Amino acid sequence: MRRGICLLICLTYVTALERINNQLVNKNVERSIDLTSQLVKISSAITLENTGKDSVRSFLVALEPNAVDISYINVKDSLKDDLKILPAKVDGAKDGVFYNIMLKQPVDAGRSTTVILEVVLTKRLEPYPSSITQKDKQLVRYFGNHYFYSPYVTTKQKTEVLLSSRSVENYTKLKPVAQSDSTITYGPYTNIQPFTVDEMMVHFENNSPFLTVTRLERIIEISHWGNIAIEEHIEIRHTGAQLKGPFSRYDYQRDTGSTHHSIKAYRTILPASAHSIYYRDSNGNISTSTVRPRKEWIELELRPRFPLFGGWKSSYVLGYSVPSYQYLFKKPSGEYVLTMRLIDHVFDDMFVEELETSIILPVGVSSVKIDTPYEVERLPDEVTYKYLDNLGRSVIKLRKTDLVEQHIQDFEITYDWKPQLLLHEPLSCLLEE
Amino acid sequence: MVTSAAIYHLCWLLNITIDIRNVCVFLAPLFSSFTTIITYLLTKEVKNSGAGLVAAAFVSIVPGYISRSVAGSYDNEGIAIFCMLLTYYTWIKAVKTGTIFWGTLTALAYFYMVSSWGGYVFLINLIPLHVLILMVTGRFSHRIYIAYSTLYCVGTILSMQISFVGFQPVQSSEHMLALGVFGLCQIISFVDYIRSKLSKNDFEVLYNFLIYTVGFLVISVGGLLTVSGKISPWTGRFYSLLDPSYAKNHIPIIASVSEHQPTSWSSFYFDLQILVFLFPAGLYFCFKQLTDANIFLILYGVTSIYFAGVMVRLMLVLAPVMCILSGIAVSHLLTKFMKSVDSPKQLDHKKHKKQESNLSFKNEISTTFVAVITVLLISYTFHCTWVTSEAYSSPSIVLSARSHDGGRIIFDDFREAYYWLKMNTPEDAKIMSWWDYGYQITAMANRTILVDNNTWNNTHISRVGQAMASSEEKAYEIMKELDVDYVLVIFGGLTGYSSDDINKFLWMVRIGGSTDRGAHIKEWDYYSPNGEFRVDKEGSQTLLNCLMYKMCYYRFGQVYTEGGKPAGYDRVRGTEIGNKDFELDVLEEAYTTEHWLVRIYKVKDLPNRGV
Repeated sequence: MRRGICLLICLTYVTALERINNQLVNKNVERSIDLTSQLVKISSAITLENTGKDSVRSFLVALEPNAVDISYINVKDSLKDDLKILPAKVDGAKDGVFYNIMLKQPVDAGRSTTVILEVVLTKRLEPYPSSITQKDKQLVRYFGNHYFYSPYVTTKQKTEVLLSSRSVENYTKLKPVAQSDSTITYGPYTNIQPFTVDEMMVHFENNSPFLTVTRLERIIEISHWGNIAIEEHIEIRHTGAQLKGPFSRYDYQRDTGSTHHSIKAYRTILPASAHSIYYRDSNGNISTSTVRPRKEWIELELRPRFPLFGGWKSSYVLGYSVPSYQYLFKKPSGEYVLTMRLIDHVFDDMFVEELETSIILPVGVSSVKIDTPYEVERLPDEVTYKYLDNLGRSVIKLRKTDLVEQHIQDFEITYDWKPQLLLHEPLSCLLEE
Repeated sequence: MVTSAAIYHLCWLLNITIDIRNVCVFLAPLFSSFTTIITYLLTKEVKNSGAGLVAAAFVSIVPGYISRSVAGSYDNEGIAIFCMLLTYYTWIKAVKTGTIFWGTLTALAYFYMVSSWGGYVFLINLIPLHVLILMVTGRFSHRIYIAYSTLYCVGTILSMQISFVGFQPVQSSEHMLALGVFGLCQIISFVDYIRSKLSKNDFEVLYNFLIYTVGFLVISVGGLLTVSGKISPWTGRFYSLLDPSYAKNHIPIIASVSEHQPTSWSSFYFDLQILVFLFPAGLYFCFKQLTDANIFLILYGVTSIYFAGVMVRLMLVLAPVMCILSGIAVSHLLTKFMKSVDSPKQLDHKKHKKQESNLSFKNEISTTFVAVITVLLISYTFHCTWVTSEAYSSPSIVLSARSHDGGRIIFDDFREAYYWLKMNTPEDAKIMSWWDYGYQITAMANRTILVDNNTWNNTHISRVGQAMASSEEKAYEIMKELDVDYVLVIFGGLTGYSSDDINKFLWMVRIGGSTDRGAHIKEWDYYSPNGEFRVDKEGSQTLLNCLMYKMCYYRFGQVYTEGGKPAGYDRVRGTEIGNKDFELDVLEEAYTTEHWLVRIYKVKDLPNRGV
C-alpha cells in the first residue's frame, strides 16, 4: 500500500534528485516526544541557519530508517502557516525517507529561520511484557533516537520526553539526562554529525487506552430533501498488552481506580447539528451510551457492551443525521458541492488502521468531481438501491490506511443534478400503486 | 421461513428495500391481523356477521394469542394459527357447499399449515372427528363426502411432500383417525350406492358379509403392521396429550419445558379473562341450533379446551375458538336484549297493557343486562392491555427492574455475554450450555453449541446434564470427550433473576440420570437429608461440589449482595451459600457480565499426565 502511494507520488512529481546542502546547519533543535497516549507525537522546533553564500528556498527532512512508517507529517513556519511538503529522493543518501520542504521566504546567507516539524507515529509503543494479568499495570517500551535525525549538522539540541506517569522502569542514560515527575530531559547535546543514531529506550507505565480502530466504514448518504445521513461501522481492538489468565468480574468491580489498562468507555465528538443518533451492533441497540450536547459539538459517551482488555475486540454501528444546508451548497454555475469530513472523531488520540468512506449520491447525478485533502485511494464506483429506487444511486468509495486525529479534514464533491429528480420517487411510487 | 422470504422478494420487486430482519420481526403481527380477518369470516359462516365482528374484536386483543404474535416473536406458531383458522374456514365452506373447489382450497390451506407447524396433527384429527360425528348423528351427506374425500386425498399427498412429515400420514398412529374415517366414508357411500340398487334382502346378506370381512381385514392388517413396526408405536408426545402425567414420569426432557406443564386455572383466566365464562354460553347457543358448522365449532371448542388443560402451550389453539364462541354468545345476547331496550317505543299500547303484569321491568332488566355486558367488555379490554404490556411485551433477553428511587435498571447481560463470545473467542470455539440458550448463542454469538432448542438426541442433552451435575474431574472427562472450549451458565443470585441454571438444575440432574451413561447420577444425592433442594450449608455435599454449583458461585462468596446479609447471600434462593471458598481446577473464568447474569468459563488445557 505504502509502496503504491510512493509510486504514485513519484509518478506525479517527477522530481530531480536532491542534494544535501552542507551550508545549512541546525543551530538549535528543541524536540519534544509525547508518549502520554498510544501514539508517539514528536514535535521539533528547528532553527535553521544558512552558513553559505546563496539564499536557500527549501530544506530536507529525513526520517530514521526504522521510523519511516509515519502516519502524519507536517511542517509549519514561525507564523504557524503550513509549508508545502514534497517527497524527495536524495543523491547518495542511504536508505531512509526524505521530504523536501518549501519555505515561504528564502533564507538569505547568514540568516536563520525557525520551523516546527510535527510527526505522528503509530504502533511504536510496544507493550512489555506483552501479556499481563488483570491486576498488573501496563508497561510499554519506546525505542527512539537520542539525537535529532537530520541530514545537516546540529549545533545544539535538547529533547524532552513526556510520559504518562511517574513510574518509569528504566531508560537509557546518555548524559546529561534528568528526570523530574513524568518528564525526562535529554541534552543539551552539541555538534552532532548528520545521520547520527544512538538508540534511546524508555520503559514506563502507560495505562492510557491502547485502542485501535481496525476498520472504519463511513457511509454518507445525501438526500436533497434536506438531510444527510451518516453511518459509521467501527471495529475496535485493544492493542495494548494481552490479558493473561482469567477475567474476574469480582476484582474488576472492586477495582475502582481510574488508571486501569482496560477500556470501559470513551468519548466521541459529533457535529453540533447531529440528531437521530443511534448506537447499535448486530445484536441490537446498545443501551449504555449518553449524549451530552455542548455548545460547539455533541459529546457522546460510548460504553462498549463489555470492558475491553488487551487483545479483546468489539464492533458497533454509530449513525446520525445532519441537516444538509450546512454541508451542501449550490454554486452559481448550478453545480452542487458537498463539503464534509473524510473521517470524523472516534476517540481522543485515535488511530485508524483502515478507512473506507462511501458517499451515496442522489439519484441521477452526473459529472462527479472529487477533491481530497490528502492522497487517498479511490475504489471502483458502485450502485446501490434504496427505498423505491429503480434507477439506483452511484456510490463513490475512498480508502486510506493509517489515520490519526490530524487527518480529520474536509473533502469536496462536486456534481450536476436536476432538482426535478426530487420527484422521481414519489412519482414512481404513484405509478406502482 | 418461506413466507418471509416470499414477502422479502415481493418488497424488493416493488423497490421497497426492506431488510430481511424487519420482515421477520413484523411477520407475526402481520399474520395475527390476518387471523382477525379470518376469524370474522369463520364466525360469519357459522353464525352471522354480528357475531363475526365481536369474535374478531375479541381475537384481536386476546392475550393467549398476543403472547405468540408480538413483533419479533418469529415463531412458526404465529403463522400456524392463521393457517389453522384458514383451513377451518375453507372446511366449513366446503361442508356447506360440497364443492371440490372448496375442498381443494381446504387441502391447500392444510398443506400450508403442515409446512408451518407440527400442531397440524390436531387439525387432521379434528376434521375427521367432525366427519365421524356427522355420520353418527346421521348428517352425513354427499356434500361432506366430497369435501372430506377431496381434502384427505389432496391434503395427504401434499403434506407428504414435506420432508419432516414424510410417510407419517399413512404410518403413524396419530394420523390413523383421518385414514379410518376416509375409509369409512368410502364404505358408507358405497353401501348407500348398493342399497339404492339392490333389494332389501339381498342387501342385508351382503351387508353382514361385508361388515365381517372388512372388520377382520382391518384388525389383522393393522395388528400385523404394528407388530412389524411399520405403524409407529404411540409416540410420547401423543401420550402426554392424553395423559398429562405420562411425560413427567417417563421423559424428563419433555416435562422440563415450562410450556409443557399442565395449565393452571389462573393462567386460563389470565390469558382469556371473560371468555372463560362466555365460552359455555357460546357452546349452549351452538347446541341450541345444531348445524353441520356448529357441530364443528363445538368439537373444536371441547377438544381444544381439553388439550389446553394438558399443556400451557396449546392455549394458543384454544384462544381463537374461545373468541369465536364468546363472540357468538355476546352477539346473541346483545341482539336479544337490545331489541327489548328499544321495544317499548315500538310496541303498540294494546300489547303493552296485556303483558304489563309480567314484563313491566323488561326494559329495565334489558338495560341493566346490556350495561353489565358493556362493563364486562370494557374490563376485558383493560385486562388484555394490561396483560399484554406486563407479561408479553418485554423482550425476554433484556431484563429490567426498578431501583430504590423508582428509576429503571436495565440488565442487558445476555447480549453483553453473547457479543463477548462473538468478538473474543475463536470462531470455531464450541460452547457448552444448557439447551435453553442454544438458539440464542447460535444466533447472537455465532458459535457452535452442543445442544439447542431443537436437539432431538436425548442422550446428547443428557450428557451435558451429566457434565453439569458431576464433580470437576468427572465433568472434565465429559467435556474433553465432547470437545468443549467454553462453558456458559446463567446465574441470577446477584440480581434475583429466578429462572437461572441453579433453579433448572434438578431438571439437568433428572435428564442427566435418565440415560444409561448417567446411571451414577441420582436425583436423591442432590437433596439435603430432609429431602430439600438447598444451596446453603444444609445442602447435600454432592450438590455443593458439582460443576454447576462451582461455576455459578465461583468467587460469589466474597460478594455482598444485600445490606444486612452476610457475603455470598443468594437473592434468588434467599440463603447464604454453603460452599464459599473454593478454586476451580479445570476451568478458568473467561468472562462474567456486569450483573453476573451470564458467566462464561474456559476449559483449561491440562497437560497430559504421562502414560
